[in-house]
Order: sequence, then structure tokens, then C-alpha cells
Amino acid sequence: MTTTHCPYCSLQCGMTLELKGRALEVQPWPEFPVNEGALCRKGWTATGLRGHRERLTTPLVRDRATGELRAAGWDEALDLVAGRLRELRDGHGPDTVAVFGGGGLTNEKAYQLGKLARVAIGTSQIDYNGRWCMSSAASAANRAFGIDRGLPFPLADVEHTDVLVLVGSNLAETMPPAARHLDRLRESGGRVVVIDPRRTPTADRADLFLQPVPGTDLALALGLLHLLDAAGAVDEEYVAARTTGFDDVRRAVAAWWPERVERVTGVATAQLRRLCTLLAGAGRVTVLTARGAEQHAQGTDTVLAWIDVALALGMPGREFAGYGCLTGQGNGQGGREHGQKADQLPGYRMIDDPAAREHVARVWGVDPDALPGAGRSAYELLDALGTDDGSRALLVFGSNIVVSAPNATQVTARLAALDLLVVADIVMSETAAMADVVLPVTQWAEETGTMTNLEGRVILRERAVAPPDGVRSDLDVMAGLAERLGSPVPFETDPEAVFAELGRASAGGRADYAGITYERIRDEHGVFWPCPSADHAGTPRMFADAFATPDGRARFVAVDHRGPAEVPDATYPLHLTTGRVLAQYQSGAQTRRVRDLPDDGPFVEMHPMLATRIGAYDGEPVVVTTRRGELKAPARIVSTIRPDTVFVPFHWVGANRLTNDALDPASRMPEFKACACAVGLDTPSLVPRDGCSTNETPVGRVASASERIETPA
Amino acid sequence: MSERIVVVGAGMAATRLAQDLPGVTVLGDEPHPPYNRILLSAVLEGTHSPDAVTMRMPGHVDLRLGTRVVEIHRAEQEVELADRRRVAYDRLVLATGSIPTLPPIRGLVRLDGRLHEKVHAFRSLADCERLSTAVPHARTAVVVGGGLLGLQVARALAVRGLATEVVEGGDHLLRSQVDAPAGAILARDLAKLGTTVYTGARAVRLTDAGLTLDNGYTLDTDLVVLTAGGRPSTALARRAGLDVRRGIVVDGQLRTSDERIHAIGDCAQFGDQVTGFVPPAWEQAGLLARHLAGEDVTYEGARTVARLRATGLDVAVLGDPERTDGDVVAISNPVVGSHRKLVVRDGVIVGATLVGELSRIGLITQHYDRGTVLGPREPGDLLMGERPATPVALPDDAEVCACAGVSAGRIRACHSLDDVRETTRATTGCGGCAPAVRQLLATRTLEGTPS
Repeated sequence: MTTTHCPYCSLQCGMTLELKGRALEVQPWPEFPVNEGALCRKGWTATGLRGHRERLTTPLVRDRATGELRAAGWDEALDLVAGRLRELRDGHGPDTVAVFGGGGLTNEKAYQLGKLARVAIGTSQIDYNGRWCMSSAASAANRAFGIDRGLPFPLADVEHTDVLVLVGSNLAETMPPAARHLDRLRESGGRVVVIDPRRTPTADRADLFLQPVPGTDLALALGLLHLLDAAGAVDEEYVAARTTGFDDVRRAVAAWWPERVERVTGVATAQLRRLCTLLAGAGRVTVLTARGAEQHAQGTDTVLAWIDVALALGMPGREFAGYGCLTGQGNGQGGREHGQKADQLPGYRMIDDPAAREHVARVWGVDPDALPGAGRSAYELLDALGTDDGSRALLVFGSNIVVSAPNATQVTARLAALDLLVVADIVMSETAAMADVVLPVTQWAEETGTMTNLEGRVILRERAVAPPDGVRSDLDVMAGLAERLGSPVPFETDPEAVFAELGRASAGGRADYAGITYERIRDEHGVFWPCPSADHAGTPRMFADAFATPDGRARFVAVDHRGPAEVPDATYPLHLTTGRVLAQYQSGAQTRRVRDLPDDGPFVEMHPMLATRIGAYDGEPVVVTTRRGELKAPARIVSTIRPDTVFVPFHWVGANRLTNDALDPASRMPEFKACACAVGLDTPSLVPRDGCSTNETPVGRVASASERIETPA
Repeated sequence: MSERIVVVGAGMAATRLAQDLPGVTVLGDEPHPPYNRILLSAVLEGTHSPDAVTMRMPGHVDLRLGTRVVEIHRAEQEVELADRRRVAYDRLVLATGSIPTLPPIRGLVRLDGRLHEKVHAFRSLADCERLSTAVPHARTAVVVGGGLLGLQVARALAVRGLATEVVEGGDHLLRSQVDAPAGAILARDLAKLGTTVYTGARAVRLTDAGLTLDNGYTLDTDLVVLTAGGRPSTALARRAGLDVRRGIVVDGQLRTSDERIHAIGDCAQFGDQVTGFVPPAWEQAGLLARHLAGEDVTYEGARTVARLRATGLDVAVLGDPERTDGDVVAISNPVVGSHRKLVVRDGVIVGATLVGELSRIGLITQHYDRGTVLGPREPGDLLMGERPATPVALPDDAEVCACAGVSAGRIRACHSLDDVRETTRATTGCGGCAPAVRQLLATRTLEGTPS
């Protein structure tokens, strides 16, 4: 029996794997504290890709004559890739090769990928899909607290807060076992507030639910702080002792009185006052943001506004209170700490910091001056591919760009313009299908490696079974490429050895792993960073005495609401927002292939009032159009969404053909969560269907036990 | 050198303009920094501290308080201050606001020219603080004026424990915003909250006996609060020879008849529109900032949303519903004290009144602001209010546990919670379906039993 963690989201639920005959079985691991044995259906069915008929087990190379992919040997494939990369590098310089990573890669792979780019290839052009996940929360936390660890406390702490505010998080569907903490909090008398344009299953567990227009969480925070200040609820002592910059924030929020906020956010003043009263009277308040607040062109400012609320109430650093971000991807946290981000080196060091370059270069055994500088952010990197000043070759590890990038039609065209696309994956994802070379790699349960969960807890996924013949680990692939590219230093392939090297590279950095070993992770149910030495206990809770800023104080940052880059108009009169469904994960490359998970395809969620307006019926196809593309999918008519908003899940090709590529100026996060769209019937109906000529009206579906059946009047 | 932009007035409109335009000079008449005037009744009520309504000018602004402009010399492009000094401008922005009008009540002003000690205006922060100080020593108050400000002040005084009465000269409350039935519902609500309303009655005389109305009543009172409104402050513009009607006339670039002089906020008149609200003033300020920065922008008039800010009274007025053409969709329910009306033209909400029931205010305002074209049934649906959920029996194929993907039928087939856990894994994920599962198991045991 092997203890490990689920292959999907940032909760990284503990589980055990046991080989029974030929079947690998998932069982609970009740001792692991984050999920205490609970799993969602994705976890229970996580072994569904093992032995799957679509599993890639041999390298594939695109045949010049036929244009089709054909099987090839490893040496042939790696020689081919390295040869082409050398040619391009010699002809156009190292930045002509770009590398794209993922937030699902283990720490070891993420670290090695950064090293591969900077040392073996010499390119500055490396970034990863985590830029599209929680990067706005990361840049906000760095500004406010001087450090970015998603949750600066263990998740279970929320059971002991007085009021928990979830801004743009649907954790009951996206990380279901986490919802148990909400229930326990409420059982012990605490309150839960949910802020979301949709009344989600998470909102069904809330004591107070606010339903703002997409892209207005920032204005809501400003209005809340306005009311809190007016009510005298600001913790002046804390503000004076532990923070700087409150005066500017106070001035900014004076301009956001409740009626103005109501007009912008669509949240009635009475609701905002209720929230203010709840928070003003609470001893401990915890604010958590997720993608709903973060994936905006003003995502960083939105998170800062909510951090300002938490700081004004005197919460960060207080026990069972504060601010945190619920990271999305499995290794969204670790993936951003070890060097696959365009501007960072391992240990959350900045690549333009001479001392950081010196330290990391020494660990790597290279000259600091040989390291490239900062490269482009994820979307900018992709958007430049195949252009005069962009890269001509791209190596992709652990990402399905064709499905997950915003404005996907444009990005797909950029991929097609490449001289060379190489994709390492376990199945033929939509992105792999475009590649010139596909490299089959090991998957979860076939390899060992560490992840860093949403709490900053470093955990270990242990190998439980042997990989199928013909596949190699990503670390093997990187070492093979490094060697062929003439790397000045060898690349390790043993994960534990890579982790030890990562620890040395991170030593002294903000995310310091130096004291963490596989053995300690096994013994301690994970170790929280920073953990600078073997005798250091790790850091489950941060900020009790000081923040990670030079003066030890948290920084208030004054921000103002500008709204989404694209707002509804006469042609595109509705808000479009995107998100996840419980049974699927990210681009669906894995979960769509698991037989026991329903793969119903995308749908267009809309309110009965909107459905009546356009004549849509539940289950019948409608077309969503934006300035960038269109999607045809069945209508799903629910009364739980704002009537001026439609929702499309992003696990399938389509949703991201619609989304906007406007970027946050600080985090470079695209605005996935809000753009303007139009919705219409697939084919205009011959029968009058506006609901006036007949007595028919669309009828809501039965989606879950928690959703009520309602028919519009 | 960049243009010298000088703003006359340091109120809300000027503050907003200064935020968007670095380097402006702001000349403010009053000695204290600008404040958020629309929150004064909240200060009176005690929900906001005076400090919390202070608007702080950004640091890059040359703010000169206690500086009164007495003349505009257009030919020299200079303004003259009370102390005869002059300030040169390339662009001048008039944001002089409005001045309160005193109702014609005998005895308001004493022989020495000051207001009678019982009488309070309610326009400035100083007014508000003076009134607030008087409240603890008073038992009764009469508010003159039944407009938005009057009702807010009346509620604030009542919340602070005074027996409060409202005198309104028109035939119903909020007569410039709403129709008579809505006004009647408001008067009834106020009566329930302990405030008597006299409509169609003018205060004519203040004596030691009290405030005498033209219907013969005399209201004995400790305080008289005047909220009868204001008019655009245009004296400066008029003397400078600018085109002035009710307000200072401006075009789509908020220019006056002199192209180097702009006017924004309460003092300006665009078309027939003179607004007394902050949101349009801010919209104008934001637009003017962009215009002065060189952008090609045009002001097209304001969409106003007037909100009553008073505990226990819920009112929103979108646009000018009583003077806007369109189909009227309305539900008036005096029984529960609600009156809602949408004015709809070509499917677009062009005006609305919501009294007493504002649960859909957020959505209706969004539709109004965005000019959303609604379906024919939608205005009616918007007024219907959300119905309470009706519990229904779940069909067997309804999903009960989303985490494990388990239907009601599969739960019904189990005989106990342990059985459910082992055979279906329902309740083992987020735990949210546990109540539904327990209920399904409970009803299962009652199957066949007549209810």
C-alpha cells in the first residue's frame, strides 16, 4: 500500500493506492489532515487513466511526407528535437526557443524545467499556465505582505474563525472535501459569506450570499471598507502598529458609498450593510479569494482591495484569521516557486536580483552572467510565437494550451506558425495533436515527486506502480535533451536527488525548502515552507510577529475600480463568465478520458428570464458569441445565475475561444472571468417562442439536491 | 509647458476632476477640505463619522482652501481672488455647485440677519454638525421639504429619538421624482415609523408658539430644518458674461460659451438638464478630465439613479419616470407598502420607481444603465419578486451527491447511511448531501404509508 495524493487540484487530498490483482485501487488515508479521508469523484476514479487505451507509450514524430504523426524511438525523437533546437538557436539566438510549463508538474519537474531553459537552452522565454491561475493573488500578496504563500495558515484553521468570506470561490464543486471545513465552522456557530455571480453549491452553504456583476468584486470591497470605516470598525491600533499606507486607502474608499457600489456591482445596499454588520461584530475574520476575484485585468487590484479589508479589520497575523488565496492547480503553489516563471529563479528569487543569480548559478555550477534575464509572461510568450521577435520553437510540459489559453483561436494560430512544437504528455491532448514531436511521459502513481499544496505544505506523491513500457519520466526527458543540447552541467534524473538540489537552490530565498527531505515529509504529513534547516519545524502559520516586508509591516495599497476591459454593449449585451464543473479538471485532458466521470461537454448556463427573452429551452443548443469567437452548446437553464450573465465551463475546446486576452498590468493574468457576449438560438425558430404567443415557458432542470426547481412566471 | 488648469470650487465634482488630472489648481471657498455631501444625513444619523465623509484631494493637486474667486477676467485669462490677487489659467473649470434656497417663512431670519436659533439649514458639513449638536437638547423637530434630502433628515432625526414631522408644500412626498400613489405609500410608512407628514401645506411663519402652516396648524417644535433644495450657483459666470439659463450652459465637451471655460456638476446645465446629484457630476468630471487630456469624448446627458438613504425607507428612482414617455409596467401594493413601476420603451427600461421592495434593484439598475433590450415578459417578471423555493420530491435520476455522482434512486436503494457510504460513496466528499441523503433514507422507510 502506498500513501500519495490526488493527481488533480491544489487541495492534494491524501489517499492510498493498493494493487489488488491487476487493479490499482484508491482508498482513504484518514490520517492526512487536509481532507481526513474524504475525496470527490475525481479522486476516487484517479486511477482511470492507468492502462487506458489512449495512453501514449511511444514517441511520435510528424512525418514530413504524410504530415501525420508516426511512432519513433526515443533516441530518434530526442536527437531530432535537440538537432532542430540547436539549428534554431545557432541561427536566431537562444530566445528563439521557448518553454511552457504547468502548475500540475511536481516541484522537481518545475525546478528542472527552469534549469533546462536557463542553463541547457539559455533562453529567457519560459513561463507556465499558473500565470492563468492565481498569479494576481501572488502579485497582490507580494505587494501587501512581501511574500506569496496561498494560505499563510493551514486550511483547517478556517473552522475556528468567526466569519469566513469567500470571494469568487466555488470550493464545494472545485475542491469538495474542503467544504467540510465550512460545515464544521457553521456547526460551531461561525458564519460563511459567499460572493459569486452564481449561487453555487458553495453559496448554498453560506449564511450570506452576495451576487455581484462579474468583474465588480473590487468595487464591492471598496464599498465594504467604506462602511466598515464609517462604522468605526477599523482596528486603529493594529493599523498603526503593523501596517503602512492606510490613509491613502481611507481616502480611496470614502468615494465608494453604498449606493454608488450598488449601481456598479448590482448588489443591493441592504446586502452590503448586512456584510458590514457581520464583519464589524466579528472577532476573527478570514477572507479567501479564488479565481473569480483574480482572473481579471484588475485581478491584482481586486485582491489588494480585499487584503485592505482584512488589514483594516486587523486580521492578518492573528490566530484563525487573515487573508488567503485558494490556489487552483495541484502544484499551483510549488510550480510558481522554483523557476518556471519568466521572472523568477528557485526559492521565489527574482531573476533580476544579482544576489539571487549569484546564489542559484553557484548551485547550478555555471557563471551568473550566463543566466538569461526575465522573459515574457505566458500569454505574451504565446502571442509572440512565430512572429519576428517571438520564439520559433516551443517545448510544452504539462499544459494543454489549445484548450486553456484565453482567446484560444489566436493562440492556436500562433502554435501553428511555429517551426517546431514539442509536447510531453501522457495522452494525445489537443495541443499534443498539433505537435511535431510528442514525447510520452510517466503519470501520477508511476513516479515520485513532491507538490506544494494550497497551504504551502510540501507533500510527497510516491510511486505505486511501474510505468508502461516505452514511457520516460519528464526528468529523464529533460536530462536527455540537456545532454544533447550540450549543457555545461549534467541534469539529475532521480527525483529525490533533484529535490535535494532544489532545496540548496532555494536556501535563503523567500520559499526556502532547504530543511525539507522526503523522510521528513513522510514523518510529518508534509512540511510547511519556509523551512531553512533540518532542525527547523517548518512554518504552518505566518505573520504572527512580522510581515515579510523590509520594515516588517504589511502595506495597504490604495486601488480604484475600473471594471472589466470589455463591458456589455448593444451588440454584446451580456456578461460571460467561465469556470469549472465538479467532475472535470482544467483542460480535461485527463478527466475527460476517465470512463467513470461524466463527460457531457460544455453547456451555456443562463437564467430563465434570459432564456425567455431569447426563446431558449433547457437542453437545446444556443450560440454564444464574443468579439473573438463563438461556441454552440446546449442551454442549461437555472435560476441560480444572474439574469444578465451566462456561464460556460472551460474544460472543453470552445469556452476559451470566447474569453478576452486583456491582461492584468501587474500579474499578466488574462481576463478569463468577464467579457461581453451575445447569446442566441442555434437556428431561428419558425414557431414564435418569445413566451408571449404560447403558454410555454422554459423549465429549470434538476441539477442537484440543493437546487430548487423553479419555473419563471 | 503644460496647460494651467484652474478649478473654481472644491466640492465633489472638483475632487473627482483633480483625481484624474494631475497638476491642477483648485480654489475652494470653504476653509475645510471637501467632503461627501450626499452622506451628510448619515453623519446626522450617526452611521458615518464626520471624518469618514471627508474627501481627500490627491497629493499632486495645488489645493487652496479659503480662497474665494470674485471675478473672471476672460480677456486676460485670469481669475481674481477676494484679496485682489490673480491666478492665470489656460483652462478654467467652474465647479461652483449650488446654493440653498430659503423658503419664504416669516421669522426665519432674525433682525440681526442670522437664522433663528431653532432654524437649521442642511447643506454643508458645518450645518450638519451644528444640527447634530442641537439634537441632544431637543425633543421635537419639523423638517421643511419632503424631497429626498428632507426624508433622509427626517429619518435621521427620528432614529436619534426626536418626534419628527415633515411639511411638504406639494400634494405628495418626493413630488419631483415619484407619482402620488408612491408618495402616499411613503407617507404611510413614515407614519408607521412615528413621523407625521403634512402635504399640501406651506410653512408661513415661525414664532415662539411654533411653526405655523398655511392650513392653520401651528407645530410646536424645538428645531426647524430647511431642506427645500438649491439652485445652481451661477453669479460668477453671469458676471463674466457666459451664457447662463437655470445653470451655466455647456455643450457635449462641457464647454461654456467661452471655449476656454468649462462647467461641471450642480452649477452646469446640459440641454434642459440641471442635476443635483453626485453621480452625474462625477461622470462629467471624469469625462472632462479625458477631454482635457486630449481624448475625443462627448457627454450625452446623465442617467440618474436617485436613492433614498434612510433607515426604514426604501426608495430608488431611475431617470425621470413621471416625465418620460413609454409603456408603464407597474405593481402597486399598499397592503405591504410597495409600489414599483418600470417605464419601458422599445424593450428598454427608460425610467423606474421602486418603493418599499428593492430586492431586484441591482439587476434593474444594470438593465437601465446598459440599455439592455428586454423580452416582452421580462419587465413584468422583474417586478414579480423571487418566489420562495418549493420543495419537491426528487426523481430517481436526480443527482443527489455531486462529489461521487450518485442519484436519488441509488440512495433509495440503500438501507442505511453506512450502506450508502460503502456502496455509493455519497456523503464521503464534501459532505453537503448528508441532509438530503438522510431525508431520502427516512422517506424510503415511509414508502407506501399514506401521508
